[in-house]
Amino acid sequence: MAQSMAYNQAAGIGGMLKKGHKAMEGLEGATLRNVEACHEISTITRTSLGPNGMNKLVVNHLGKIIVTSDCATIVKSLEIEHPAAKMLQLAAEAQDFECGDGTNLVVSFAGELLMQTVDLFRMGLHPSDVVVGYTKAGDKMLKEFLPPLAELVKPMTNGREKEELLRVIRPVLAAKYLGSEDILAPLVAEACLGTMKSSTGPASFSVESVRVAKILGGDISQSLVVQGFVALRGLETTLTSAEDAKIVVFGCGIEASATEAKGTVLMKNADDLKNYNKSEEKKMEEIIKSIADSGVKVCVSGGTVSEMAMHFIERYGMLCLKIGSKWELRRLCVATGATALVRLGAPTPDEMGHCDHVHQKEVGGRPVTIFSQSEGSKTSKLATIVLRASTSSVLADLERAIDDGVHAARTACKDGKLVPGAGATEMELSLKVRAFADTCPGLDQYAIRAFGKALEVVPRTLAENAGLDQSVVVAALGAAHASGKLSAGVDIDAMGITGASGVSDETGVLDLYHTKASAFKLAIDAALTVLRVDQIIMSKQAGGGAGMM
Amino acid sequence: MGPMGMRPGIILLREGTDTSQVSSRHCHFHYFVDGRLDYHFNNLPKRFSLTSITIAFDFNIHSTSTQGKAQLISNINACQAVADAVRTTLGPRGMDKLVADGRRVTISNDGATIMRLLEIEHPAAKTLVDISMSQDAEVGDGTTSVVLLAVEILKQMKPFIEEGVHPQIIIRNIRLASGLAVQKVRDLAISFDIHTPEGEDMLLKTASTALNSKLISSHQDLFAPMIVDAVKSLSADGGADGLDDLRGMIGIKKIPGGDVRQSFLVKGVAFKKTFSYAGFEQMTKKFANPKILLLNVELELKNEKENAEVRIEDPEQYQSIVDAEWQVIYDKLDSCVACGANIVLSKLPIGDLATQYFADRGLFCAGRVEDGDLKRVAKATGATIQTSTNGLFVGVLGTCADFEETRVGDERFNIFTGCPNSLTSTMVLRGGSEQFIAESERSIHDALMVVKRSLKSRSVVAGGGAVELEVAKHLREHALRIEGKGQLIVNAFARALEIVPRQLCDNAGFDSNDILSALRRKHTQDEDGKWYGVDIENGGILDTFAAGIWEPSDNKSFSLASAAEAAGVILSIDETVINPRSQDPGAATGMMGGGGGMGGQKPLSNMMGGAMDAVNAQQGGSRSGNLGNGVSYLKGRGGG
Repeated sequence: MAQSMAYNQAAGIGGMLKKGHKAMEGLEGATLRNVEACHEISTITRTSLGPNGMNKLVVNHLGKIIVTSDCATIVKSLEIEHPAAKMLQLAAEAQDFECGDGTNLVVSFAGELLMQTVDLFRMGLHPSDVVVGYTKAGDKMLKEFLPPLAELVKPMTNGREKEELLRVIRPVLAAKYLGSEDILAPLVAEACLGTMKSSTGPASFSVESVRVAKILGGDISQSLVVQGFVALRGLETTLTSAEDAKIVVFGCGIEASATEAKGTVLMKNADDLKNYNKSEEKKMEEIIKSIADSGVKVCVSGGTVSEMAMHFIERYGMLCLKIGSKWELRRLCVATGATALVRLGAPTPDEMGHCDHVHQKEVGGRPVTIFSQSEGSKTSKLATIVLRASTSSVLADLERAIDDGVHAARTACKDGKLVPGAGATEMELSLKVRAFADTCPGLDQYAIRAFGKALEVVPRTLAENAGLDQSVVVAALGAAHASGKLSAGVDIDAMGITGASGVSDETGVLDLYHTKASAFKLAIDAALTVLRVDQIIMSKQAGGGAGMM
Repeated sequence: MGPMGMRPGIILLREGTDTSQVSSRHCHFHYFVDGRLDYHFNNLPKRFSLTSITIAFDFNIHSTSTQGKAQLISNINACQAVADAVRTTLGPRGMDKLVADGRRVTISNDGATIMRLLEIEHPAAKTLVDISMSQDAEVGDGTTSVVLLAVEILKQMKPFIEEGVHPQIIIRNIRLASGLAVQKVRDLAISFDIHTPEGEDMLLKTASTALNSKLISSHQDLFAPMIVDAVKSLSADGGADGLDDLRGMIGIKKIPGGDVRQSFLVKGVAFKKTFSYAGFEQMTKKFANPKILLLNVELELKNEKENAEVRIEDPEQYQSIVDAEWQVIYDKLDSCVACGANIVLSKLPIGDLATQYFADRGLFCAGRVEDGDLKRVAKATGATIQTSTNGLFVGVLGTCADFEETRVGDERFNIFTGCPNSLTSTMVLRGGSEQFIAESERSIHDALMVVKRSLKSRSVVAGGGAVELEVAKHLREHALRIEGKGQLIVNAFARALEIVPRQLCDNAGFDSNDILSALRRKHTQDEDGKWYGVDIENGGILDTFAAGIWEPSDNKSFSLASAAEAAGVILSIDETVINPRSQDPGAATGMMGGGGGMGGQKPLSNMMGGAMDAVNAQQGGSRSGNLGNGVSYLKGRGGG
């Protein structure tokens, strides 16, 4: 290492910086390395694109096993250290945050854009030429080419119609876990509909209000929606059901309050001793009695419930549930409209929640408590999808799929514009961008053409993942689009059937315009950021060089 | 420093990360060798020769066509190794496994128990543990066959993967096939009404079938009726409502010693006599229609609260304090007696003062009763457990027809029978050794679950591999109508189903090929041959339905569905990324060992260090790669 340092010192920069730094510059030193690193990431995730995408098994640093084809999850758990590749990760996370879906498009497209630059550099183009070309192409595409495509498909107009929502949710779920869409899409739609706020005005709901409860065992077809809350543990009391129940939620435990500081009760005479225990008991009875008198039928505690308290809860015929997690407790509050009390005592009517049915049920060998609201209930602000599957990795993956589906439904409620999916949009844009390239006079023409070619990555990968011959499919798709079939896309159902072209004029697959546009924009931005870097300087890592190679 | 004098590199992923998208590990960047980039190279200092650039780019570039194939094969091999561990336990002639984890010895042939104890570390093979567990939770039995089935599906699909069929095509057709199979099982199932004598008989036979493959199979004539009675008593009208809380409502008491045949069922609650103090002998041990008080109170002379302290100024007062303490406990005892109870049970100790006090007044008491037992008594007798002796009233007391403390074998038991809510029952198991009873308990639990399933679904299919063969035949017929590769895959799925009869034969020492061909022939040729399965007694084939080998249809449909699901999950993984454990510095340093000589840019392929070896090791079928560190493995006769 000393030798190479000596070279750097001669070049000047090494002499200026603290020993142990790393510096790379120029096309080969920095740009190409960055491009390569990003390409590496996108190769990992590319095979997960689309309904037929393969899964990745990631064992994270805690030893947890994640099996998924969700790109955001993959890049998040990869622990990427390369600074340029990290850009892609951040872009994917931004997309996940913004739209919840289309993350793989971001990474794949950005990776492909960067991969195309290798050829351009080989031709002698300077990175800045490429940046100019890509910027031009990106602007043109997002402003002029993409919007007209949204007119090809009837937009989602009414977010309150189940059928309308299904049109949006189904392709998203199919892309995450093929085969689940027919069962889960109606559940997701129902859950979303159930939590929509008011019956007038534009449809809208909060993503937070659709929850997933995972129970191992059974299969997907046994999944169901509960308008309300599902706690994955049983009730503490012998009574296990209540109707039209008022609910009190305590953030604290239901127990006699004890002093934090060490205190000792001093007793002076025999009467003190006799009454000591009784007084404590009496106090607890008073509290529980006052709660029961206020009409509450269900007590929910965020902490422990002392045996004495349980005794009186039983005595006054109430139900009691313990919920350990603060998040869960908050969700229950949302579902029932209760306010969590931090002090033991009877709630005011405002602080009480209400639930139409509370009961305990055994699902998959474990007891669960179900708080469900009747149809048309005012307080139903939360819906829970109870997921069933016989492996924990499938459960986790389905949960992510549902998350994406809910996000898509939310986005669709804001902006219902749709574009044709299954690679149709990308193919059309690719042709348009390439046609645009021919009209450009400068060196950026090459970059714009490369941009157009990069767009092909979507139909190409979809075909490849579906086990089709990608070159044949992309060629046929290009021909279909050139002859005016603007909605033609990759027909993944052609998989395994001999003689099928793999191209369908009308796939029925729809993508949200908003998601698509945002994914393109983030991918282009990430790629441009990577390309603009011509020098990498890394200081020596603190901590004795454990991270150094 | 590397020979090429590399620059210090930037690492793509965190150190120690192991990605095993096994494919080409070679550089495909041939652009660099020819073409116009040479021009740039010429302008570079010599140190950056062409070779150093190619090495710098020696990432694990995946050639697209073979991506992940080796990964898939390696995962399948790992799963096969796991299945081999439980394979021999299937069926009536299955062998047991002894698993010692340093502290306890477990002898079992229950798939779920073995899978749990194996401590499988291979991330893909862990999926098999999952399906085994969920089968256990959902159905209770069939935990071995679900693992075998999943692995056999994978094994049958392996040639297709090797030939380059896209995994998604396979997965899609597995889903298709499993859907068809589950539908076929439902069509084949024979439903029954449990209120008829035939229905009773059916339940009895499903219980016997479940017990058949267990350690206590020779005593099924004793246990099967006990199990059916216990489950049926759970719900008053024979409906499915009360069945949910099976684990809580049916107690299984293990009493080592005695003979298996001395096991018995109590329709009510029974528990072993608790530790008792002096005065116990004088107590009444038998009551008719007693009033029962259940407490969670300590009836002993003791400090009331940890943080209470008595300070007296006058020595005269000392006696009054002592008296007060006695008064406190006498108050408690008085209120117990005053409420009219005949029997006092407490979760906490009942001291000798209290024992004597109750004995004098003709009451029976028992302290330190286990939580589960006390809850069952509460359920059965209608009493509620009291945490305070203040404010006791008749409403909290329970009752039953008969209470008796009696001797069973060499142990004394408290037995409550004829309870008003006759929902609970207790099974008392006797047997030679602790392990034997533990395994008997697991077997009985499986059988209980099976009977519960049958009660819920009210339909059965024939066991002994008959239903698998019939479904396989159906799939083969259907496959002929499928166009393309799907046909082969559905056929392979059908072949995979035959693992159940095949393994039954293998375990019984029969020639599985002979028997299978006979069975296939019977199923295809005879109209009424659909229930023919392996005759485990005589080594031929027989109508297992007529022979009374019946299993709940849910059992079969669940295991088919979850085996197919697990196979799909494993086939859909084309890459494994193992991040270093955060609290495991060894993983990172191990990687770093050779780092100095590698030069700067560390190719991903080089990062497949220790953990990858574990994955590769299974390709040779070595099982130790799947198990935790320090797990040793002995199998077969010479093993010990």
